[in-house]
Amino acid sequence: MAIIDDLFKILVFPGFLFVVNLGLFLEWLDRKIYARLQNRVGPPWYQPWLDILKLLSKEDVIPEGASRFMFTWLPVFYLAVTVTASLCIPVGTYAAIYSFPGDLIVVLFLLTLATIILFLLGWYSGSPFGRVGAVRAVTQFLAYEVPLVAALLTQALLADSWSISLVMARTTVGFPRFVVVHLTALAVALISLQGKLLRVPFDAPEAETEIVAGPFTEYTGRRLAFIRLAERTEMAVGVGLVSDLFLPFPARLGVLGFVISAILVTFVLSVLRASVARFRIEDTTVLAWKYILPFSALGMVLAIIVRG
Amino acid sequence: MMLEKIIALSRKSSPWVCHFNSGGCNACDIEVMATLTPRFDVERFGIQLKGSPRHADILVCTGPVTKQIRERLLRVYHQMPTPKYIAAVGSCALSGGVFYDCYNVLGGIDRVLPVDVYVPGCPPRPDAIIAGIVKVLQKMEADALELGDQGRASAAEGGNSRVSH
Repeated sequence: MAIIDDLFKILVFPGFLFVVNLGLFLEWLDRKIYARLQNRVGPPWYQPWLDILKLLSKEDVIPEGASRFMFTWLPVFYLAVTVTASLCIPVGTYAAIYSFPGDLIVVLFLLTLATIILFLLGWYSGSPFGRVGAVRAVTQFLAYEVPLVAALLTQALLADSWSISLVMARTTVGFPRFVVVHLTALAVALISLQGKLLRVPFDAPEAETEIVAGPFTEYTGRRLAFIRLAERTEMAVGVGLVSDLFLPFPARLGVLGFVISAILVTFVLSVLRASVARFRIEDTTVLAWKYILPFSALGMVLAIIVRG
Repeated sequence: MMLEKIIALSRKSSPWVCHFNSGGCNACDIEVMATLTPRFDVERFGIQLKGSPRHADILVCTGPVTKQIRERLLRVYHQMPTPKYIAAVGSCALSGGVFYDCYNVLGGIDRVLPVDVYVPGCPPRPDAIIAGIVKVLQKMEADALELGDQGRASAAEGGNSRVSH
């Protein structure tokens, strides 16, 4: 019975099915909000699922210049890495499948690995667009990764723990005193998450108006479906992580609170996507190192001071 | 049968479009771009513009085929995964239009590629282009119900699965 219970947890509820479907739901929400902000109707709610189904039923092409092994396995690894990261994310008060003191570090490591896989995806696809996109993905990774980790570290410092569930339980401890630090860290985390998920204004790696589709240019059919699923899962994990660590609802309202927080975070990310244009890759780096990083360092120093 | 129905539904609900100018004067391209603006909101039907032909289901071609562009057009066509559909947009794409019988022009798109839907006009209005795409979707659905996951283009070409270009 224990095995069936574990399998259910891994495959259905806080595991694979839940995370993938949450990711696809957030994709729809994002596209819908984006459409409403442009004063149009937007796609129906089942659009992301149909996109995946359609891709699964299309022809599967391996270009001549691509490495066959890498081209076949990297989309699978990409999905595997992001789903594994989701195992450590508690869904509100519903405990994560695998949690231990320090799981925050593991999630950050797995998300970093996802970016490295993104680089390899582009590099081995045998297309110059793929390579340019891959190099941009890594350049951008150098820009947002440090502020992202610093912002999450600020929360961990305030809560005095590296465990996601403990930080989540302590988000409102010392409520009025920590507000400024919280908000600083939240702002930095949201902006760097936007970079992590390759969304406007940080979508230079897959800029469709200049380098076709970046690392994904050569991918078709089910490989592209896997990549899309992995991206959506990465979004669910990133958004879930920020909701767990920063917002008060997951620890109070359980699963419902988790979903509400995820929707709130997605709303902010969508408004950001709809209201700005794309940065050039060097502007992203300059913005991150000159402005966002000092801001996040300031947050960390403040955190150490207010904790006393 | 159930699977074919699901495939047909997903194909007609999520057509991704790639736009190719095979030598036109840009008026049709401006209309195609206008079709994709928020005013017409084609994302309601799942239509999205994709930069890469590898992601596309429908190739929207504008302009007559010049001798110079023929190879590139074929290459882009072969880069698309099956099932793939072609929409010829504008008078020139239909027959060569005002460039008919020019020394450097082959004629309409159908001199080079199997065209599924013709949208006349010089240039056609966005409404007409949307109507054309809807016709392609009906064709897509019928093909998916009839041929399953093979689709028309691969059946017509004797299956060019795993051809690399």
